[in-house]
Amino acid sequence: MTVAHDLAFGPTGPTRATELPTGVSAGRVGRAVQGVLWAVVLAFCLVPLILVVVISFGHKVEGAGWEWALTLENYQRFIVGANWPAESTSLYLGQLYWSMRYAVVASLLAVVTALPFTYLMTRQSRRAQAVWLVFLLATLSLSEVFIVMGWDIILSNNSGLPMLFAASGLTDWLKETGWFDVLRDWGLANPRNVKFKPSEVATVLTLSYLVWPYAVILLYPALSRLDPSLAEAARTMGARPWTVARTVILPSVRLPLIGTTLLLFVFLLGAYVAITVFADPSQHTTAVSVYEHVRGSTLNAPFGAAQSVILLITATAFLVIGQRLTRKSPGAQ
Amino acid sequence: MMLRVLGTIFMSLAAVVVALPIVIVCSAALNGGRTMFFPPQDSTLARFGEFFISEPVWTRALTNSVIVALGAATLSVLLAWPIAYRLWKTGSRASALLATFGSIPFAVPPIVFGVGLGFFWSFLGGLGTIPAGIISHAVLFLALPLVTISIGLQAIDRAHLDAAATMGATEAVTFRTIVLPQTLPYTISGFFFALVLSFNEFIVMFFVSASAFATVTLQIFNSLRNGYTPTMAVAAVAFITVSIVVFSAIARWGDLPRLMGADQSRT
Amino acid sequence: MCALALKDIRKTYGDASAVDDVSIDFPQGQLTALLGPSGCGKTTLLRMIAGLEVPTAGTITLGGRDITRLPAHRRKFGMVFQSFALFPHLSVRENIGYALTIAGTSKAEVVARADKLLDLVQLQGFGDRRIGQLSGGQRQRVAIARALAQEPEVFLLDEPMSALDAKLREEMQVELRLLQQRLGITTIVVTHDQREAMTMADRIIVMSKGRVEQSGSPQEIYQWPATGFVAGFIGRANFMEGLADNGNIRVGDVLLALAEPANFINGASVQLACRPEAIRLGAADTGNMVKGTITFIRDLGPVRDFHLDTPLGKLVVEQGADQGRDVRLGETVALTLPPEALRIYPRSTALPPMEMAAE
Repeated sequence: MTVAHDLAFGPTGPTRATELPTGVSAGRVGRAVQGVLWAVVLAFCLVPLILVVVISFGHKVEGAGWEWALTLENYQRFIVGANWPAESTSLYLGQLYWSMRYAVVASLLAVVTALPFTYLMTRQSRRAQAVWLVFLLATLSLSEVFIVMGWDIILSNNSGLPMLFAASGLTDWLKETGWFDVLRDWGLANPRNVKFKPSEVATVLTLSYLVWPYAVILLYPALSRLDPSLAEAARTMGARPWTVARTVILPSVRLPLIGTTLLLFVFLLGAYVAITVFADPSQHTTAVSVYEHVRGSTLNAPFGAAQSVILLITATAFLVIGQRLTRKSPGAQ
Repeated sequence: MMLRVLGTIFMSLAAVVVALPIVIVCSAALNGGRTMFFPPQDSTLARFGEFFISEPVWTRALTNSVIVALGAATLSVLLAWPIAYRLWKTGSRASALLATFGSIPFAVPPIVFGVGLGFFWSFLGGLGTIPAGIISHAVLFLALPLVTISIGLQAIDRAHLDAAATMGATEAVTFRTIVLPQTLPYTISGFFFALVLSFNEFIVMFFVSASAFATVTLQIFNSLRNGYTPTMAVAAVAFITVSIVVFSAIARWGDLPRLMGADQSRT
Repeated sequence: MCALALKDIRKTYGDASAVDDVSIDFPQGQLTALLGPSGCGKTTLLRMIAGLEVPTAGTITLGGRDITRLPAHRRKFGMVFQSFALFPHLSVRENIGYALTIAGTSKAEVVARADKLLDLVQLQGFGDRRIGQLSGGQRQRVAIARALAQEPEVFLLDEPMSALDAKLREEMQVELRLLQQRLGITTIVVTHDQREAMTMADRIIVMSKGRVEQSGSPQEIYQWPATGFVAGFIGRANFMEGLADNGNIRVGDVLLALAEPANFINGASVQLACRPEAIRLGAADTGNMVKGTITFIRDLGPVRDFHLDTPLGKLVVEQGADQGRDVRLGETVALTLPPEALRIYPRSTALPPMEMAAE
């Protein structure tokens, strides 16, 4: 690449005497650019969020509209329902509970299974790592709709795993050994055969799958920086592999582990498609409810906004807690 | 050595599980009928023709996806550069703050940001327009090129800037002849990250497009109620192919492990 | 005729002052070395000369023209950086031709000039190589060629040898000096290595803590160090403490005569310095004789070091290997400190250690 090609300049030296001292012109252009940048970022990155907060205090009017207001009715509705004090419901609080429950279980599951995988991956050659990364990034970037499509097929009651179970005789075996009843209790079977959807198991599995590549990518930097000589030193002192893992490796990645779990948790708070496809309506989340109220069947934009704010607050709260947790530890890496 | 074997088995198993739904979806594109069967029945490539050529719903959606993704990735990089550059050059609190604000959309749950953007555009009057979609995605994914370009800028030796100055280069010339060329791989990877993610994003797009237009993933999302069709699976094939090609290209010409945070000094 | 002049230059960062009241004239066509330990302000001074930093106070003039506020890219002094700062994305030739290219010179001319410079630094044929393929010595030459390509009025080098290994360093010092003399270009070299300064410079400016300690030719600096710091920093010196006594110096019980009467009040505290090679083993007529016991002998090949305990304190004497006496450890011998080899300084609070200052 030659620099010479695309540069056409005037002469240098004394003829430049009439040019403004660089300080001034660069300063003015620079400041203009700065101003534009700030305007753009504030407008498009922050204003939408501010709008959500502001509108959450708004008031729904008849029909599909709403108006500006400063009322707490939406938050009240979230906590105790619309008909308070006549009757109170914890429907929306329940949805938040489910949001957190799915998110916690799925993120933990993903992190726990991703950790050994990532560790093994970072011990491989740089080229192998690049290949894995391409694979993971490609699956990661695939839209949730496709992922859910795939799992839908796999768990489909008519053509997926349940059919496999029935065809292979597994269902009968389960019935004989009594495990079938256990599955029924867990909601994973109806009278004839196992069913995996809708169920919490299917939801959590899909969510976990969804964020698994993220977990690997987030754990990757820390694990790739692990000094192999530490583990080797432990081994020369008689530590078996599990002990090495427990006493040498895990402590040094404690912080990234916590950080990753938190990030995944926050990400999963907003999950939508997997929930609607795999979760029983009585176990739906706040994110689903937001969709319903903002663009779905029960239009109530301010309420949807309020729920969004609640989600945001929940996410922030967990992040702050995480910060405290990770900062407290001495000698943190 | 048992461990070594166990490790290999584990990783292979993981790879299979990860690939499974994708493989299934992709193979479903070969179905002859309207239902998604696995294994595919009446295998045919007709669905591909429908998706890319004959069905206007899909061809329009694909066009929209491409326009939005290309536009958003370009705009994202153009916005990220001055922010990253200023942060690198001055390291001032203001520039760090700007970078943080710019990254916020990516950090909050997409549904929240989508809702906000929906309100935002309805006030501004751009709701349901393609430019609104482009801007929305550009802002959403701003964090990506911001991070990759910052990584690239860190790698530049400040002495190079001094050297260029002593040879007569103004800041602008230095930027064009030294900084830009040396950070090219990072700019490109930031662009492609944003591109791929934009292709696949539908939640924010849902709120911003307001049923006025649809991208491929949005179209699929909207049709969820009615179930999937094999034609949709074609989209999956197309998208995963794009992703693999893009990331392979980044790996081939850039340093993917380093980009993802690996230690420089090892191996 | 003076090319570059610094007057009352000061550079402060907050409360700390990196360069304090420095005035230097750099004569046209000469190589001046800025010499001093790390942190003495020499690199800051060089960067101000290059235009990479702005002085807090003072002026810089070039041929009479005030260039203090002129930014670096307008001054266009050729500079070689410690790490060489060669652009990895450009070839050797493109690096060398960079200044000309961005000034709009035609491609043909750029190539011609770059090739001429490659000849000058003896890297013919290296034009198309990538920077990553070059050795340390080759990179230095490319950096030199690149700095000279724009035919600058002043040539600046910041610790140019520090990235090279020792053997190469010595060779390059000589080569660089010969090149500079051939081109007749005003040159300023920053270094912490006093041998390097002595090898290359027409004039050495010794700096410490942001100030100029002494300025002069290598021999002047060596033979007539103006302060205790310079005496200790350049070459080696034996340091002694004493009191002025009627024009002589009393160290402990011994009265030492000087070549010229000391200009100190009787009883004033002074510091004495004497170079190891100036001390003679054995009695002589020049006076200042003491007796000492040999505590350590170091045979370095061409010279021999003798460490002695004397009434003046611990002293080190350097003798040529072929020079005289075979002394043994533990022997008591006579030493002579010639009066003309003694230097005296006001007693400073920061006294260099009695043992040898580093070479």
